[in-house]
Amino acid sequence: MTVDETVPGQTVEALEARVPFRFPRELVVALAVLAALWELVSMFVPPFIVPGWGRILRSLAGLRLDFVLVTLARVAGALVLSFALGLGLAMAMYASAPVERYGRPVVRLLMAVPVVCWILFAVLWFKWVELRIAFVLVVVCAPVFLVDALDGMKGVSSELRDMLRSYRPTRAQLFTKLVLPATLPAILTSWKINLSLAIRVVTIAELVGAVSGIGYGLVVAQELFSVADVFAWTFVLVAILFAAEAVLARVEQRVLRWRP
Amino acid sequence: MRGAGEIRVQGLRKVFHQTGTAVPVVAIDRLDFAVRPGDMVAVVGATGCGKSTFLNVLIGLDRPTEGRVDIGGRSPYDDFDHFRGVLAAVFQQDRLLPWRTAIDNVRLPLELLGRHSRDQVERARQWLDRLGLGRFERAYPHELSGGMRQRVALARAFAVEPTLLLADEAFGHLDEVTSAALRKTFVDLARAEGNTAILVTHQLEEAIEMGGRILVFGRPGRLLADIDLRTCPESRLHGLRADIQRLIQANQPDPQFTRATSAKELPA
Repeated sequence: MTVDETVPGQTVEALEARVPFRFPRELVVALAVLAALWELVSMFVPPFIVPGWGRILRSLAGLRLDFVLVTLARVAGALVLSFALGLGLAMAMYASAPVERYGRPVVRLLMAVPVVCWILFAVLWFKWVELRIAFVLVVVCAPVFLVDALDGMKGVSSELRDMLRSYRPTRAQLFTKLVLPATLPAILTSWKINLSLAIRVVTIAELVGAVSGIGYGLVVAQELFSVADVFAWTFVLVAILFAAEAVLARVEQRVLRWRP
Repeated sequence: MRGAGEIRVQGLRKVFHQTGTAVPVVAIDRLDFAVRPGDMVAVVGATGCGKSTFLNVLIGLDRPTEGRVDIGGRSPYDDFDHFRGVLAAVFQQDRLLPWRTAIDNVRLPLELLGRHSRDQVERARQWLDRLGLGRFERAYPHELSGGMRQRVALARAFAVEPTLLLADEAFGHLDEVTSAALRKTFVDLARAEGNTAILVTHQLEEAIEMGGRILVFGRPGRLLADIDLRTCPESRLHGLRADIQRLIQANQPDPQFTRATSAKELPA
């Protein structure tokens, strides 16, 4: 929006206040239709293939909350560690061209390795289960943070850089006043990508050797041949992902409110 | 010590080497002139005559290939950090940081200078008020019109209270009315603050309206004429625009236009 020069200025607070909460009607309707279809199919198919909502809800009520919390803690810890590592390495590559030239191929190599191979390496290399899971998550997520942050840093407008340099900033000031804020959209995008990636990867990593977490819960459900439990755990995973994405979208809306 | 706003340009040459080719591109070819502290100088010339390159050298963003540029006896490139708070520039595009509100954009150079937070806010507010943007201090750049954004950029430059003020085609992209109003604001404020001001423009009217000195650049980056409007005879002022246009088209230096000041003429 462009404010005409003759019109009194609109503060950001006023503009925000005018945007009311919008009920996500399409989302709710689509999910409700899907749930109804599911229930309909469950009436004609044996429960060990497609269990009805009644069975799934009973399974949901019986799930171990501590498993959910353990998985969430693993994801959160690994994402924070991956972000610190990815951002740190991106800053090093941004500051030094040789570091970037030698580092980029290594990062590409790491990103080309399938997750299953990392899980196998983790099982072979590490004895401690938590270390295995953290290793797999970090090795998968950190390169995404690194590449997105580095691309964001390198994409900073040279015109803005020249403007700031004309005021003679220190290197730290150039980074904190220009490079980092300009990279924020790319960083938030990488958080969104990694959040969904981490939740999917952690479940697979927990399938191997863990005795807690949603992945372990899925293994137990499979061993007990409880399809309702598998669906319940899947439901929890999807709900976590949706909730996390909603939180991130809110954060993004708030942090990037300066965008047109 | 020489005046901080005094500029000496001696034998300045700037050559670029295009990536992937061995062919050098001469952007500036032997410039010699000087600017006294408090002078208002307009640099005019056709597109591609090295005006913006000259300004980048003056700001200290580019190193001269040959020759020297001194501001107050120091090189803006070699003594880069010395010019903190000494010079400020307004560019063709406003170059506001889109994630900062108007007031935070004006505060930016003051933050870099390490000014106290309260002083930053007070001074930024004062300059926004002077430029008629007091009610818009909380607006983000995308919420402002082009003219308003350029006024924020002007406030940002003036807030530093620089000795030397540089403007690179800063008003040419705006509509005529806004452009004229901003140009007047720029000149009035620069005069009131006693700044040495260099305005690079391709618009001759803009240069003549400033009423100071006009340096006419030819291709590649050389001085065709140095006209001081304050000392220029009345007879010459009439039809000056057409004369400058002819000069630029011919791309030949004109001895009829007296050199107002050369670097050698200023006291050492």
